[in-house]
This record gives sequence, C-alpha cells and structure tokens, in this order.
Amino acid sequence: MPNETLAQTSNTLFNIAFVTYIVAMVAYFFRLAFTRVSVAGVTSSTVTGTRIGLVGTALAVAGLALHLVSFVARGVAADRMPWGNMYEYSSGMALLVVAVGLVVVQRRFGYGHLMGFLLAAAVLMMTSGLLLFAEAGPLVPALNSYWIRIHTSSMMVASSIFIVGFAATALYLVKDTGERRVAASGGDSYTGSTVGAARLTPVEPDARPEGYEADGALAVSVASPLAQREVLSPVLFPLVPGVIAALFTLLVWRAPVAAIIAGSVAALLGTAAWYAVPYLPPAAKLDNLAYRTIAFAFPIWTFGVMTGAIWAEETWGRYWGWDPKETGSFFTWVLYAAYLHARSTHGWRGRKAAWVAVVAFFALMITFYVVNLFIVGLHSYAGPGLV
Amino acid sequence: MTETLPPRERVDPPAPRGPRLPDIPGPVETLGLAWRRLRKMSTALVLLFALALASVVATFVPQEPVIARTVELWRAGTAGPGAAWARVLDALSFFDVFGSWWFLAITAALFTSLTGCLFPRYRAFARVVRRPPAPGRGLDRLAHHEVLRTALPPTAALDAAETVLGRYRRRRVEAVDGVAQIAAERGHWREGGSLIFHTAFYLLLVGIVIGHSFGFTGQINVAEGSDFADTTVVYDQAKPGRFWDAGDHRGFVVRLDDFDVSYHPDFTPKDFVSTVTILEDGQEVRTTQVRVNHPLVYRGMKIFQARFGMAPRVVVRPAGGGDALFDDRVLLTQDGPFWVGRAKVSAGNPSPGDGRDPVPQIALDLALVPDAAIVDGELRINSPEPRNPRLAASLYAGQDLGLGRPEPISSLEFPQSDLVGQAMLTPGGSADLANGLLTVEFPELDQWSGFQVSHAPGRRVLLVAGMLVLVGLIPSLYSYRRRLWVEARRDGERTDVVLAGVALQRQTAFADEFAEVRDTLEAALAGPAPLRHAPAVPTPQKETRR
Repeated sequence: MPNETLAQTSNTLFNIAFVTYIVAMVAYFFRLAFTRVSVAGVTSSTVTGTRIGLVGTALAVAGLALHLVSFVARGVAADRMPWGNMYEYSSGMALLVVAVGLVVVQRRFGYGHLMGFLLAAAVLMMTSGLLLFAEAGPLVPALNSYWIRIHTSSMMVASSIFIVGFAATALYLVKDTGERRVAASGGDSYTGSTVGAARLTPVEPDARPEGYEADGALAVSVASPLAQREVLSPVLFPLVPGVIAALFTLLVWRAPVAAIIAGSVAALLGTAAWYAVPYLPPAAKLDNLAYRTIAFAFPIWTFGVMTGAIWAEETWGRYWGWDPKETGSFFTWVLYAAYLHARSTHGWRGRKAAWVAVVAFFALMITFYVVNLFIVGLHSYAGPGLV
Repeated sequence: MTETLPPRERVDPPAPRGPRLPDIPGPVETLGLAWRRLRKMSTALVLLFALALASVVATFVPQEPVIARTVELWRAGTAGPGAAWARVLDALSFFDVFGSWWFLAITAALFTSLTGCLFPRYRAFARVVRRPPAPGRGLDRLAHHEVLRTALPPTAALDAAETVLGRYRRRRVEAVDGVAQIAAERGHWREGGSLIFHTAFYLLLVGIVIGHSFGFTGQINVAEGSDFADTTVVYDQAKPGRFWDAGDHRGFVVRLDDFDVSYHPDFTPKDFVSTVTILEDGQEVRTTQVRVNHPLVYRGMKIFQARFGMAPRVVVRPAGGGDALFDDRVLLTQDGPFWVGRAKVSAGNPSPGDGRDPVPQIALDLALVPDAAIVDGELRINSPEPRNPRLAASLYAGQDLGLGRPEPISSLEFPQSDLVGQAMLTPGGSADLANGLLTVEFPELDQWSGFQVSHAPGRRVLLVAGMLVLVGLIPSLYSYRRRLWVEARRDGERTDVVLAGVALQRQTAFADEFAEVRDTLEAALAGPAPLRHAPAVPTPQKETRR
C-alpha cells in the first residue's frame, strides 16, 4: 500500500529540485553575459562568470541529487518501479535529461553552455508532470508485470536522450543559420571552414562529415562570432517557440493561464538561444553531438518497441495490433530511422537531416502526450495512467 | 539503405554529361530508370516519410480493426468531423490504413528499394571482406601520422607492431620501394552490422506473414461452471488466418471452475484469476490458473485472461411449478456502475398447431448492482464487489420482439407496451410477473470470464528477427572502418617506424584510438629493456584532438 509519508517527501523533494533546476538554469544563462568570445570562436569567462558557472553546476548537481531521492522515494512509496504513470515518467525523463546533460554534454563533450537549455527542457518536462500529477498508487493488473521494468524504462531512457538530441539539433540549426548568414555577408573574408556539416562536400573518402569537426583554431573567419547574433532576428526567436509552446499547452491541457506561462517561458528560452548563439560550439560540433545522442538512443528505442511487443503478446495476446500507442512508437521509430539514413545521404545531410530530427522529436512528443491524453486505446487506462 | 560507400565502391557511375538528343525511353529503359530511381537512398527516405505519415493518420483517425465502434460513430456523424468527411476518409481507406492497398504499396516499394540496395551491398561487402588489407603509400600525407624511432631492427619492430595490432586484420607486405610494411584494418562490422540489420526486416516480414496466414485469434466469454470447446463455431469474434481451417482447432474443452477478482481500496481491479480445467475426450487433463500477464499454453493454443463480468443465474418458469422455460447464467456487461444484459427466454411460436394459442416471444432485460444500499430512499452503490447484489429484471412478452432477427439481442428495441412486469431480486429470491403467469427466479450470482484464445505461429521467427535487428544495429552505429599502416625503415643504427592511419567514420573516436595505438606501439618498440642511453629523439608533436 502507498506509504503516505514517503510519497509526501517525494513530492516535496520534487518541488525543491524543480526550483533548484530553475535557479541553476538562470545561472547558466547569466554566465553568458560574463563570457567573452574571441574571433576564433573560443570562449572564456571572466572571474565572475566562472563563479556563476560553478554555482550553476553545483545547483544542477544538487538538484539532480534531490530529484533522484524524490524519484526513488516515489517508487518505494508505491512499492513498484516509479514509472507507472505520466507524472512519474515525466519526472524520470527530466532526471535523465539533467544527468545526461551534466555527465555527457558538460563533462565529456565540454559544452557547458548547452546545460541551460537542457535544464530548461527538464523544467518543462517536470511542469508537464505536475499538470498530470497522480498520487502514488498501485497499477492496473495489465501493467503488473516485470516487463514494465524493461519496456517502460527503455522507452523512458531513450526519450530523455532524444530530448538531449533535440536540444542539440535545434541549437545546431540556429548556430548554422548564424554562421551561414555571417559567411554570406562576410564575402571574400570567408573561407568556409567554420560552416556546419551542411556545406561540406567531401573531397576525399576520409573527409566524410559524420565525424567532421570544424577546427576552431584553424578557422579563418574575420567576422566576430558576435556577428552571428546580429544576423538573427531578435523578434522571431522568442516568437516562434513562444507560440508553439502556448498552442501545444492550449491543445493538450486547455488551460489558458498555463498556455500563457508556457508561451512566456518558451519565448524567454528563445531569447536565451538568440543571445547564446555566439557562445555555442561550432555548428558542425553541435550536429555531431545531435547525431551521437540520437544514434545512442535509437537502439534503446528499438529495444523498447520490441519488448513492448513481447509484453503485448503476453498481456493482450497479440504482439502488434496498431493500437495508437504502438502506432506512435512506430512512426517515431521510422522518423528517427529516416534521420539516421538522411545523415548518410548526399543532399540530405546537415540542415535537411536536422529538420528530419526535429520532425521525429515532435512525433515523439505526440506519442507521449497527445496519444496518451486524447486517443483512446489499450494504453489509456482511465486517464494518464500508462505511458 | 545504401549508406554512402567510398566512391570506388559506389554502384551508379555518374551519367555522362554533354549535349544529347532527348531520348524517348522505351519500356525496358523506363523499367530500368524506375528501378534505379527506386534504389536511390532519397527514394527510400521519401518512402519512410510516407510510412510515418500513414501511421500518423492511423493515430488520429480511429481504425476499424482496433475500435470499430468509434468508426461507426464517425460514419454516422455523431463523432468526429461529420458524415461527409467520414465518406472521404472511407474512400481513402483511412479507417483501415494498415489494411489499405496504398499502405501495402508503400511497404512493397520499401522492400523493393531495400532489395535493390542490399544486393549490390552484399556483393561489395563480400569483396571487401575477402580482400586483404591494402598496402599504403605516401603515409606521411595522411592526417594521422607519426614517426617513432627504435633500436630494434625493422623485422623485430614490425613483429612488435603486430602484437600491438592484435585485434586488427593485418598482413605484412613489401612495399614498392622495398620497405617492409604492415597493413591493418578494422571495422567491417559497421557494414556487416548494417547488412544484418536490414536483412532482418525480411525475416520480420516472413514472421508476420506466417502469423497472418496460419494463426488464429478468437474471443470467448464463459460463466463459472460452464465450458467451451475449441472449435470454429464457439468464438464470438474469430480472426482466422488465411490458411487456418476448422481442422486446425484442437477440439479440447476448457471449463471455467472458478473466477476471482480482487480490488484495490479505490475499487480499481487488482488482479483477476480464472481457474480452468482442460478436458480431452471428457478426461480432465490439467487444472490451472489463468491471469493477466500469465496465459495458459496448451497444444500450441494460448489462452489469455481478457475480461470478466457478472453472470447471474436466472430461471423463468410457469407460475406454480413446471419445466423451466429458461435456466441459464446471463453474461452481463458493465455499463457504468451497473451490469446489464438480456436473455432470450422464448423464441415464440405463432402457430403451434392443434388449435392452441400462439406462444409469444419472451425476453428478459436485466440490470445488476453488485453492492447496493438504499439510503434515504435512494440507490447507492458501495463497491464493485458482489457483497449485496440486486438484480432488476424486466420481462417482455409480445408477438414480435424481434428475437427472430439476426441482429444481436442487445441492440433490439423492445416496445414499452410489451413490458409485462418488473421486479427487484436478491439472490435466492423470486417474483411472479406477467399477471402471475410466470415466475422469475434469481438463485445465485456467479461471474463470467472472458478469454482470448490464439495460435500465433511465427513468433520465434519474429523474436530471432528482432534480435538480429539489434545485433546488427549496434555495430552499424558504433563500429567504424579504419586502416592503420606501420612501416619500418632502417636508418643507420636506428629504425624509423612510421605509424599512419585513416578512418572512414567517427574521426573523433579514431583520433583517440590512434593516440592509444601510438603510445602502446612506442612502449612495445622500447622493448623489454628500454633504451636508456639512446639519444633523445624529438618525436614530432601533433595536436591530438579530443
């Protein structure tokens, strides 16, 4: 039976982690104002900037620790794996996004300036989780299987890595636009070495763009990276994500106030993206990060779909029945597969492939939110029960 | 499908350019053009998008094989965008996307495209794998390139290098200028894995086709104490495969001995379990439990716990005794907090002959509340468990209630004028209805359990295909083709050892690997006794990018 005290503790810790993430996110963005970027694209922070950055990292780590405790406590309170409904699943995704961000993006790749965006993604996930909140409780019999540990957790892990991949893809598109426009306006001074993977035409077999990285130190670009911001519209950047987020919230939850809040947050994020353009890693590196994350998540998603089929066979007596959720996971899979193929196809790699990844991510969001909340199928057990 | 191969392995040579008269392609050329077009990666991509789009449609438009009821509502215009739109959707087979001809066409085109891509790749792969690593020339022009110096003679240096390159496919070659060289390569798993991944889809297709052709799925509801035999006629909704026929049914009998359902405190079902006995030729073979997620497998048929409900036993007999007109458990279905259902008591006989009066059609309309309480004159429902059941029975009798029509009894409209009596019964109770002509008894309340019985061949094939998909997918994304060369050249007392390498994919990972190989090779070349007195040779420092 649900343990009330533990469930309450889990909720409290969730809220504290939520606020901590927001403060950490603000710190990460604030740090940009204290960061200089040289012509070669190398960034360096002032002493204040470094301190703010440390505070941001410390807060993100602390938030992650609290969030982890909250997540585990939820599972103990309900006496099952803590991914039985949409609230828990959203919480798990946010947790993994922050963890992947800190360990992989910030530490391994060294792209600390991306963390603000990943924290924002985590905060949005948690907000959606709060809107779908359900008390810690038992599961319906169909979910009561050890497959929930395998199938649902793989889907959760894959989705969260896809979120990181989407952040990298979106920022790649932004950065690439900036680089191209600067290159176009720079005329002769431009040599082409900083432009993203899209522009690259392989001249010899080993210069293939998959692992291609523009070498910042060798880049001959006279224009300052700050110019990349000047060539991007400061109006469209808040407007487009703001409108999309507001419409999405309005459609999914029919809550005008929440839609306004979500829209404003997304608009702020858009502005942050606009402001952060010069500090972002070169487009080719972002493209590579996006590819590596998506290529990592894709086999996990594939595994998740397969275990889902095995579980369906055991519960419903058929491995595949085109239930809306199955269909959703299928088209998400197809679109990410298309992205991976596009990435190795002439005339598709670079921006076009990135747009495929963006579409695939929207498919993922539809599969998670829209299918669960609006479309009646075997996966909808009275409300936001199963993910 | 066709991952871009290195240029010399690419199949299609670029078409010759230049001024040409416009050709009118003949039928053979057209076919050839279509085939080449279909084989292109960009075509495969478009087909993948089409597949995704079709599934998106199937997510938002209700699918007849999944939820037929909603589709009916859409067609009637009571739900969805309206009847006119529903006709458009119907014309496009949007209500059955996955059974439509155009979905089949997309799938067929994808598999054709896949085939067109794969066969040249198999050939190329077989050729590349068989070919020993090629010697390298102009090693110092490669991006990854290091010169190490050692006191070992060239042969010993190359022996040492061979141990370092233990995990590579390699061979020793005499280079053109008489210098000994090791050519090594790794990473054929990238293409090999990709081929396994893509080939596994044929197997997946085979598994699906087997399942659809030789499989069977049927639904059956049965009350406690009753049984059913695995035969063609018993199932409510049977979906036999194309090559499944009556003889494929096993004919065994499944008897439901007992059904149990337990609830959480919030009255959501916690678990439901059927205890069933299997009988062959009247002999009990096995007694076992069937529960959600734990199906029973018997002679290749899987029996799944699917649904459950209330099954009151109802007896209708002439008042004052006599043979029962009706004595059976009526399977009720859930409607909110109520369980409702109907029973055909008498089909009627308009002309029994012998001058007797015509016998009317008689039907019972039942509604059951499992745990009822009357508080302040109002009916309250306490729980879904049958602790205090109340059965509301309405008896209809008339010349034509529609019982002879083929439609299910639940969808008939009984005229109010034919209502001949109503009673609220408790278990064990009875009531005289129809002006005291008929007695309706409610001896006991049982439950019914719903099973899905299926035979799904091809599952093992699918499982193997799924495993191959994963086994192929992972190396195709992570492995990478790379070549390394080690060349040893005598230079007076010392030997110059050139290490050079090139990677076709994943340059960052290769840079790390190259640095590692270089360090290991350097240690190996130093030998068991390091050259303490050797003059310090500056190795050219190269920036290793990480």
